[in-house]
Amino acid sequence: MADRSDVVGTVAGPGDDPNEFVFVTPSDKSIKTGEFITYTVSVEGEPRSVFARVTNRELIRGLPEGFLADPEVGPETVAATLGVPTDDTELYRLTATVIGYYDTNMTTFANPRQLPDPGTPLSIAPHQQLETVLPNLGCETDSTDVTTLDGVAHVGWLLNRPAEATNLHIPTEEFASTHLAILASTGSGKSYTASVLIEEMMRPSSRASLLVFDPHGEYDTLAEMQGEEAFQGADGYEPDVVYYDPERLSVRISELEIGDVMAVLDNPSNRMQDRLSTAWRSMQNRESRTWGIDALIAEMEAEFGADDASVGALEWRLRRSIERNDLFHPEENVPLDEIVDPGQCTVLQMDTLDRRDQQLITTVLLRRMYRERLDDVRNRDSDIEHPIFALFEEGHRFAPASGEAPSLGVMRTITSEGRKFGFGLGIISQRPSKIDQDVLSQCGTQISMQIKNPNDQDAIKNSVEAAGEDVLRELPGLTPGQAVVSGDAMNTPALIQVRQRRTPHGAGSRPVIEEWREAYDERQREPTQSESADFGEGDSTGVQSLD
Amino acid sequence: MTDTPPDGDSPDLDSCVRIGSIVSSNSHLDYVVEVYKERDCDRPPELHEREFGQPVFIKKTVNGTEHAVMGVIYDTQLVDPDQGRTGPRLAQDDQAQFTPGYIEERTTLAGVALLGTAEISEDGAIQESTHQMPRWTLEVEDTVFHCPDQVTVSFHTVDDQIQLAYMDRLLDIAGDLGSEVIVALIDRLRGMLPDDDPNQRVLDVVEQNVQWQAREQRGMV
Repeated sequence: MADRSDVVGTVAGPGDDPNEFVFVTPSDKSIKTGEFITYTVSVEGEPRSVFARVTNRELIRGLPEGFLADPEVGPETVAATLGVPTDDTELYRLTATVIGYYDTNMTTFANPRQLPDPGTPLSIAPHQQLETVLPNLGCETDSTDVTTLDGVAHVGWLLNRPAEATNLHIPTEEFASTHLAILASTGSGKSYTASVLIEEMMRPSSRASLLVFDPHGEYDTLAEMQGEEAFQGADGYEPDVVYYDPERLSVRISELEIGDVMAVLDNPSNRMQDRLSTAWRSMQNRESRTWGIDALIAEMEAEFGADDASVGALEWRLRRSIERNDLFHPEENVPLDEIVDPGQCTVLQMDTLDRRDQQLITTVLLRRMYRERLDDVRNRDSDIEHPIFALFEEGHRFAPASGEAPSLGVMRTITSEGRKFGFGLGIISQRPSKIDQDVLSQCGTQISMQIKNPNDQDAIKNSVEAAGEDVLRELPGLTPGQAVVSGDAMNTPALIQVRQRRTPHGAGSRPVIEEWREAYDERQREPTQSESADFGEGDSTGVQSLD
Repeated sequence: MTDTPPDGDSPDLDSCVRIGSIVSSNSHLDYVVEVYKERDCDRPPELHEREFGQPVFIKKTVNGTEHAVMGVIYDTQLVDPDQGRTGPRLAQDDQAQFTPGYIEERTTLAGVALLGTAEISEDGAIQESTHQMPRWTLEVEDTVFHCPDQVTVSFHTVDDQIQLAYMDRLLDIAGDLGSEVIVALIDRLRGMLPDDDPNQRVLDVVEQNVQWQAREQRGMV
């Protein structure tokens, strides 16, 4: 701070809030709202850089509005006429909120509980310092080269700074264990941001075990990570991207729980529910895990008699909803060791399945994986001996606020308990208000993008603890590709521009006009029925052969 | 001294109508001028030549260069030495000629606020005009001249752009009539400029501002 050349403003005095102060800058030092500034205070005898965020900017000295009376006469002209100087005369009064200084022992911000004195010079916080202290990286100094750290995900750069000037690397471990929510309205870049995170998690320094539940088939370009130099490790590592299309997805019937079956059956009566649950329980107590509907019906008939009306009705319903659905199979199951592996990103493409089937396969897979993680942590035999992270596109389908999804229960369990068992969830959604509040509130890290719907903003306010007022205020004004990152992965929320993907993006809107025109041209080329007259082909004789 | 105010492309500053002479001052920029009457000069100013808002100038030679100190009439006051005297008057209404008293000494005073200065060139035109505060003091009995329109325009034009940079000082000196004197000046300038001059709109904005502020101060809006 000895050099005053980087000073951008001077503290004028305290503001309205206890952590707020006011400072003044001339017009040539253009400081944007949201910018991080810093000043030095002495804490326990040591000079510390205290960070503050600019929250408001107002003009305190400038040309009067009366000079703007005629749109065709510039205010400078009026000012020149009256001999009012116009060069850099504007003065701005900015309000800033103290974030704190970086406490190297606690590796987070500590509030100095003391506002800067009037006259304190303020400067723009240096790039490297911000890169170190904004994300929750646990660095031991307040200025580290964060690109050398392992397990960090480069998501983008600070929005107020030039492109790629202040890069934000968030700790993968933090959001992968305490869950992640990406909330944004359609077209503002949620799947793009998710793909950036997937790319980062698949890099040699992280080698994550990832599972993507993709109801729309938007992640089909991730495979291009394979062969890209940026993803190759010095030891020969290369990410493995595996696609599971709906044909390969199957649920073994015995993996279903009675609640799941009830969810797929058409309106079963109380008596039917009773018959079914009794039979289901006894089937599950059997040694064999590979029974089908026939065995189940035989069990019911054995228990309640072959001519029981409810059993007959159940048989019809079970055969229609389960047996004729290709998803359910007496024996086959998605092998867990195939879909989760370190350094492997598995995309479960569910675009041809209907919503109920998507929810069911998700339920069963999550339940199985959670069980395996539990076994692993408790030192029992397990198919999954490493932490896993599952990402849900259209997260409100799997954990709806209405509660009408068999997957909701297991999602709630994993978001509240999964942290202990190395099972992280990522929820992507454009309708935060339609996501179950318990699930959303457990997502420790949030990446929020443009959201204009007031209900959705309320949902974020109510369930996301880290979303302060200043974060929420930003949401309607963001443009696609801009995001607010907040929560456990950050020491303080920051506004970022999401970085460019390394692989091409596959989920943009379709070029509708182009496709219409192509389709129209196609139609024009097809012969129409009125064109049946035949001239000059076949055995027709020409003029010369008449002779 | 000519009988008519000069008009033509380059008015002669030497032949302008004399309005009066300085009798006192209220401050460095605020002078009191006694307006010439029949007896004081060959051709006393007519009423419209010494009206409110009339630009004037005073010639000063500084360091060998002739300068014009520009000003404007911002106030007038009538003085009657007889007024308030006790005792009967000799004059009756029907005997105006029987008045040995002071009736001839009744006079009109005009307040002149200084606006800026300009150099007077060899050919009698003005150049290098500035709206900075004049640094020189005027003297008692300095003659105050009527400022012709061309000179007024040229004093107010800097690089083709109309200028009224003295406005804040003038408002201060003229006090209650500040906005009126500025409006009068603007009216005068507007009449002198062609209708399609871009400066007309600038003058509109300035006038609007001044009027509005004055009305605001007087509690109208």
